Amino acid sequence: MSSQASPMPGSASPGSGRVEYRRKPLIWGGRLQELGMLLPACILIAIFLLVPFLSSFEIALTNQRLIPRPVPVRFVGLGNFQQILTDPAFWQALWNVTRFTILVLPVQCGFALAIALLLNQKLPFRNFFRGLFFLPAITSMVVVCVIWSTLFQYPTGPFNQIVGFLTFGLVGPIDWLGDPTWAMPSIVLLSAWQAYGFQMIVYLAGLQNIPETLYEAAELDGANAWQRFWHVTMPSLRQTHIFVLIITTIQAFKLFTQVNILTQGGPRGTTDTLVHYMFTAGFVDQRLGLASAVAILLFLIVLVVSLVQRFVVRDRR
Amino acid sequence: MSTVTSASAPAQAARVSEPRDIGAIVKFVAVLIIALVVVSPLFLLFVASLKPDRFQILADMGSFRAFWVTDPSLQNFKDIATFGGALPFGRYLVNSLIILFCTVLGGVFLNSMAAFVLAWGRLPGRAVVLTGLIGLYIVPQESIVLPLLSLVNKAGLGDSFAAQILPWMASPLYIFLIYQFFIQVPRDIYDAATVDGASPFRIYWSVFLPLSLPVLATVAILLGIETWNQYLWPLMVTQTDHARPISVGIASFFGHDSVYWNSAMAASVMMMLPVLIFYLAFQKWFVSSFISSAVKG
Repeated sequence: MSSQASPMPGSASPGSGRVEYRRKPLIWGGRLQELGMLLPACILIAIFLLVPFLSSFEIALTNQRLIPRPVPVRFVGLGNFQQILTDPAFWQALWNVTRFTILVLPVQCGFALAIALLLNQKLPFRNFFRGLFFLPAITSMVVVCVIWSTLFQYPTGPFNQIVGFLTFGLVGPIDWLGDPTWAMPSIVLLSAWQAYGFQMIVYLAGLQNIPETLYEAAELDGANAWQRFWHVTMPSLRQTHIFVLIITTIQAFKLFTQVNILTQGGPRGTTDTLVHYMFTAGFVDQRLGLASAVAILLFLIVLVVSLVQRFVVRDRR
Repeated sequence: MSTVTSASAPAQAARVSEPRDIGAIVKFVAVLIIALVVVSPLFLLFVASLKPDRFQILADMGSFRAFWVTDPSLQNFKDIATFGGALPFGRYLVNSLIILFCTVLGGVFLNSMAAFVLAWGRLPGRAVVLTGLIGLYIVPQESIVLPLLSLVNKAGLGDSFAAQILPWMASPLYIFLIYQFFIQVPRDIYDAATVDGASPFRIYWSVFLPLSLPVLATVAILLGIETWNQYLWPLMVTQTDHARPISVGIASFFGHDSVYWNSAMAASVMMMLPVLIFYLAFQKWFVSSFISSAVKG
């Protein structure tokens, strides 16, 4: 109780340490009230985030089914992990999602940066354009799938028309989402289109933080637009680049919705992803133990990427 | 590509004085064309939703006829905006709105209350709770949904609204966002309220909440978009039309040999419109929300 009268300790309490005047009867009531304010959120997070997360480690060591069977659940040790790591389909899913990440990073971030540069200049109706370019980012992925599956339509969709026109009819028509070669690049394209808006506004914020004087100095030194871009803009955006790359990588590794809707992981497993593999194992095949093991591997990947971010950002400070 | 490189020079216009006007117009037109090409898929969606013939939609897609509609009709919407039948998209839309409303309202309230106690409360162990929350923030939704599904089914909450609202209301990320805002409130404001003898909840409700509308709007927008676009979780947890949201409803068009494109387009517009209206009304808030989630996340 004596701590009540002392100033609030710790970094969480702002301001200077000043003696607080409080009336005694309020103290207990106040504490209870605070508890009542903190607990609802914490209880929900405990039930719906912490408990499932911790239990996934336990479930992963068993052969538990999603809908329990009369047969008792058996402890299988690391059997699930062993089964996953020896399953070629898992390695293909891991490779696919890695390939997706490698492809989507330059496409999505490059496009976002290009549009951000375009919007960062003196331009009439700049806010209007920013709003327009941000539209895909607020469009639900499900809706994006509806639109883009008609764009990818075989054999007469717009993409096939454009390809046919540009190559004088020599190439195509291509079954974009049904061809093992083209399914993943098609998913990359529509994913990048849906999501680039976020990276765009992050880059815009980064660009606006670059002091104008840097450009003026470069210009006095006779640097042309290209040189100013490579020697002023790009180095100044270093922190933004790192942030954007990490966020995009984490997003990319969770790829699921568009694959589930458009290709179901096909054709021939070329668009199967980690989350889709987990979904199939746990929900479709009801093998909860196996799926939990995949979930843990997914968590570890996200954890490693996040730690890399912490490490790189701290290194810079 | 040339537009991109010149874009990196905000001060370029000052150097060339004579052809500046022409250059500015060319630049403006170029940006306009790029913008129209980039958002054209959305435009096509709205046009296609007004064409009642599903075969016509596909036939038009490959040509410039995709950009206009000769006899616009709302028939597609009339067909699916129902509460029963094979495609009850009226019901799906209402379900989505119920889930959205409850999640956002509850989420803003619970998260800000918890953030207030973490920032200004006197409970012992606040630092531990805060550290724990930051640690949990890293856990992706995707890696907990299957154990959560098993839990929810055991609790008898499968195929319910509660199962789609309760798990995502409270969130470490949003508690942390609001917390960071609260700790920047000057200490004098808190002190003045305590001297008056106000209880913690009263200080939160009548002093801190009115001060923090920007961050509350940010959380409402981010949580709202997230809730509206949920797919994986409702796909698994809903088994009937009873609580099924519109995202899962639209996805059910796929996986058949012939897709009813006219209905799918209309349903997509139904899902898109509420967000679009909200976005047009609060565009500035949307963009700044996403920025603050980026800077602080």
